[in-house]
Amino acid sequence: MLEYLKKYWLWAALAPLFMCGEVFMDLLQPRLMKTIVDEGVLGLSNGGVGDLGLISTTGAKMIGLVAVGGFCGVMSGVFANLCSQNFGNDLRKAAFRNTLALSPGQTDRFSTGSIITRITNDITQVQQLVTQCIRGFVRTGMLIVGGIVCMLSLDLSFGAVIACSLPFILFCVIYFIGRANPMFGILQQKLDNVNSVMQENITGARVVKAYVREDYENARFGKANNELVDTQLNILVLFSYMTPIMNILLNASVVAVIFLGGIRVRGGGLTPGAVMAAITYITQILNAVMRMTMIFQTISRGTASGRRVMELLECSPAITDGDFEGETRLKGKVEFKNVSFGYGKTDILKNISFTVNPGETIGILGETGCGKTSLVQLIPRFYDVREGAVLVDGVDVRDYKLEALRDKVSLSLQKSELFNTTIKENILWGRQDASDEDVAKAAEIARAKDFIENSPDGFDTLVAEKGMSLSGGQKQRIAVSRSILKGAEILIFDDCTGALDLKTEAELYERLNKAEKNMTKIIIAQRIASVKSADRIAVIDGGRLAAFDSHERLLETSEIYRDIYNSQLKAG
Amino acid sequence: MRGYRLPGMRVRRDRAARSEKPKDGRKTMLRLFAYFRRESLIAAGLFGAVLAVVVCSVTVPGLQSLAIDRIAAGRFDSLPYVLAVMLGVYGINCICTFFQSLLSARLSQRVVKRMREELFEKITNLPISYTDNHPHGDIMSRMTNDVENISNTVSQSLSSMFSGILMIAGTVFMMIYYCPALAALSCITVVMTLGITKLLASALRRSYTKRQALLGTLNAKTEETITGFKTVTAYNRQKQTILDFEKTSDELTKTGIIAEILAGSMGPCMNVINNTGFVIIAAFGGYFAIKGIISIGVISAFIVYAKQFGRPIDELAQIYGQIQGAIAGAERVFEVMDGKDEDKSGSRSMEGLDGVIEFKNVNFSYYPGKQVLYDFSLKIDAGKKVALVGATGSGKTTVVNLLMRFYDTDSGEILIDGVNIKDIDCRSLRRNTAIVLQDAVLFSDTIENNLKYSNPRADDEAVEKAAKMSNCRNMIAHMPRGYKTFLTGAGQNISQGQKQLLTICRAFLAEPEILVLDEATSSVDTRTEKNIQNAMVRLMNDRTSLIIAHRLSTIRDADIIVVMDKGRISEMGSHESLMEKKGTYYRLYMTQFAGKTT
Repeated sequence: MLEYLKKYWLWAALAPLFMCGEVFMDLLQPRLMKTIVDEGVLGLSNGGVGDLGLISTTGAKMIGLVAVGGFCGVMSGVFANLCSQNFGNDLRKAAFRNTLALSPGQTDRFSTGSIITRITNDITQVQQLVTQCIRGFVRTGMLIVGGIVCMLSLDLSFGAVIACSLPFILFCVIYFIGRANPMFGILQQKLDNVNSVMQENITGARVVKAYVREDYENARFGKANNELVDTQLNILVLFSYMTPIMNILLNASVVAVIFLGGIRVRGGGLTPGAVMAAITYITQILNAVMRMTMIFQTISRGTASGRRVMELLECSPAITDGDFEGETRLKGKVEFKNVSFGYGKTDILKNISFTVNPGETIGILGETGCGKTSLVQLIPRFYDVREGAVLVDGVDVRDYKLEALRDKVSLSLQKSELFNTTIKENILWGRQDASDEDVAKAAEIARAKDFIENSPDGFDTLVAEKGMSLSGGQKQRIAVSRSILKGAEILIFDDCTGALDLKTEAELYERLNKAEKNMTKIIIAQRIASVKSADRIAVIDGGRLAAFDSHERLLETSEIYRDIYNSQLKAG
Repeated sequence: MRGYRLPGMRVRRDRAARSEKPKDGRKTMLRLFAYFRRESLIAAGLFGAVLAVVVCSVTVPGLQSLAIDRIAAGRFDSLPYVLAVMLGVYGINCICTFFQSLLSARLSQRVVKRMREELFEKITNLPISYTDNHPHGDIMSRMTNDVENISNTVSQSLSSMFSGILMIAGTVFMMIYYCPALAALSCITVVMTLGITKLLASALRRSYTKRQALLGTLNAKTEETITGFKTVTAYNRQKQTILDFEKTSDELTKTGIIAEILAGSMGPCMNVINNTGFVIIAAFGGYFAIKGIISIGVISAFIVYAKQFGRPIDELAQIYGQIQGAIAGAERVFEVMDGKDEDKSGSRSMEGLDGVIEFKNVNFSYYPGKQVLYDFSLKIDAGKKVALVGATGSGKTTVVNLLMRFYDTDSGEILIDGVNIKDIDCRSLRRNTAIVLQDAVLFSDTIENNLKYSNPRADDEAVEKAAKMSNCRNMIAHMPRGYKTFLTGAGQNISQGQKQLLTICRAFLAEPEILVLDEATSSVDTRTEKNIQNAMVRLMNDRTSLIIAHRLSTIRDADIIVVMDKGRISEMGSHESLMEKKGTYYRLYMTQFAGKTT
């Protein structure tokens, strides 16, 4: 982490320096006021005759110092921000860059949501930590130390007031924050409960109405709401105690200063101006102490965030480039050789071997969770096999440069991941330099052209965030257009036409076969009708290859296949 | 520490970022105010506490001035008495502050609680078209962010605005009382504060708004890339994505630096103003003291007054923006509350009806001008099964929506046993009609409660029987805690197929007269699908059933197959008769099940 900060060391050093300047000016003020009161007004060293000239020169001096202090404060802010924001920017970029170099297995382990918070929220926290450290921490620290020194230099007896009040204030702040912190956790939980009841009622509105459970839902919400309000009230009550207690401690300290000061003035050791200055100092000190605890909170939150960001930064990519550039004579051959694979301890795929020849169309069938998706994701090397090898065009995928390997494979996922831009841009992801005709052609093959052209802005229609404005089938067809446009030698459809009705799907496959004869096509499907016309169909059962043959042959030889066939196409 | 600020700490000026303006502030304000009227007792108590706090805060500096004067004049004997009174007033101040924050907390929480309850109740009473037509995220944000925003404003800003105004008035009064000339000079700082705030705030708001927008873009980009991680990788788009991200990130940093420097300058600027005020009071106070107009103690009192005076002014400027944002939020909340409730005027009970359904010349459109059903007529005899088939968008789901009265027809009528469904009690209609939807909706609750959702009075025996009938007894028995297993996050801990089975079981338990099924099971594997299918067959037994059918077996077993095309019935009849006809159904059958294009 410090390495990222090193680049900005000058700013990081200047910010606290200027801050010192500002605090110094703040601490000088009460002293000068003391001069005005004691010498200017009371004329203590002048036998009780006031000195107007002294008042105006001191006043001018004060104004000057105030201006200098303000300047220092602004400059400190400028440097602190230059440092922390640039640092944050570097960190953010590094984290993002590193994330994209990770393998899907690694991002799965972090979980998507966690990576997003690390890159966005956590980095902001770290940034704030830096600002607080070089600015807020310096300011409050200086105010406390400087204030105490100034007060003691006025009169050592004020030390007693500080010694008494400081521990009290510290104790109170720590006690209240200690009590409140766990309550914030509970509050968040209660808030989540309320939100989840709401969410369920909005998404499940039909079911609630259909079973006439509005009253029940209202009661359920009422309960969650009450719990939330109660927790919130508890926190607010806690703080209701805190503010007055803090105030009385502060006020009592002021009274103590006046009292002590009174005794010292009577004894002749102190002037009335000094008492007034001491009142200002003690207020400054105690306020700074309270603020310091807040800063500690930011710091502790920031350090936790920092740790989480570091975890992401220090995670080195599990899957790295091989040396092979990807030039092969063969085009579109895929070979699984005794492949075993699993995410955790248990193997999901067990000893799978089969070969897909160039230009062949292969269907893959099997129950949910049997490992179909895992199987095809081994081809672009999203994951590495545990045993055996996957060969593309006769070369082990681990020997390829990743970019070269992935240029050979075009993959359409079950969940169509579209991006928040125009439909055209989304399809262009397949091949950046494709012409408009190419895009239209790909959309035509994917049976997407009609609905795209009927959309308000045609190909320039925006895909709303996460594709909300499009239906599932439309999203799938755009994703398929994208993968077709890529024109890779191996095309993999991971159950990505499931939301289409069978007629549309059948047309899509027919057009695809006509247009892209030479592509090797691997199609995962739930419905037999989707893959019936494939050259060969692989049936996966319990992580093993149960059968691999054409539809007709499978009907004769494979019992599992017959079962699936009967359940889907015959009366059940 | 959201929403809480220790006394005396520098306030961050993020709030200035909120620049939203309400459309009709006055009306909304009055309506919000009505919520407080019902809590008039607490509000009165709060007012009393605030008043007491202000009086104490205004008296204390006077006492302090008295004490300093005693010291300066060397009258030390009476000093302890003055200090004792001071401590006493501080004590009262403390107690009143305590009551002030306690009452304000109670008041705001009660108001917010009621508002949230009313809003939720409203949402359950709004017609389905409301949730269909409004983005769910938007409704959620009104219920959470907007209400929360109102809550924060109500709890903090209101009482601080209140005490702020009183404090300013009290302080000004006291300052004028002690020394009008010095009071007038102190006002210079106020003018400076207002000037600087205005100057900085508008610049600040602009750069904050810009920063917020960029931050939104950056977050969206990150989210998109990370959720679409595999696609990014599969298409080798890492380089472009990184470049794109870095561009936004750099821009954000640039805007962020400007915004934060501006915001960071606010603190020192205020510090300069405060210190200037300090100097003014010290210098001019000294001058007046020499002239004998005021005592030294008054100078020290003025130092405190100036601070007391400056803080609320500074705060009020911020609160103003905050209140505007809250009112805009309240406007959005009230907009939901003003939505029209579902029409539930029917009164006839459905008990004892046979369940003959008849659609008579029904026309319907979701949006004017985009008709979905044209002159739809269909009669289903009691206990019969009707399968609706047709391409997506042909109007199948609409038929279901109308039968359940999720929507009302534009013209024509729907009758059950000859009674128009608009005359039937909506609750009775729905209680006697069970639906199984394509998206299996479950709630975060135990399996048992989820099943009993359709019939809260069902006993264990009935639940057990329904589970058996719907083929989910085995599955439930395998759950870690059986019927008491808690389904998290709307059933994320079980598979899609298991969810579907549970919704079928739920429909069983309802013992409905009429059954509506949307039987799509596209993402369910073969074995589970077989289970679901068998369960559905049992469920339909002896019930008037309307099925949006996707599966051959269901279609073939139906008494009548209705083939829909673009909102019209194109064919109707049994499987055999329709196959013989070689019409739409035949073609549909051939493509759908033989997987061939024709």
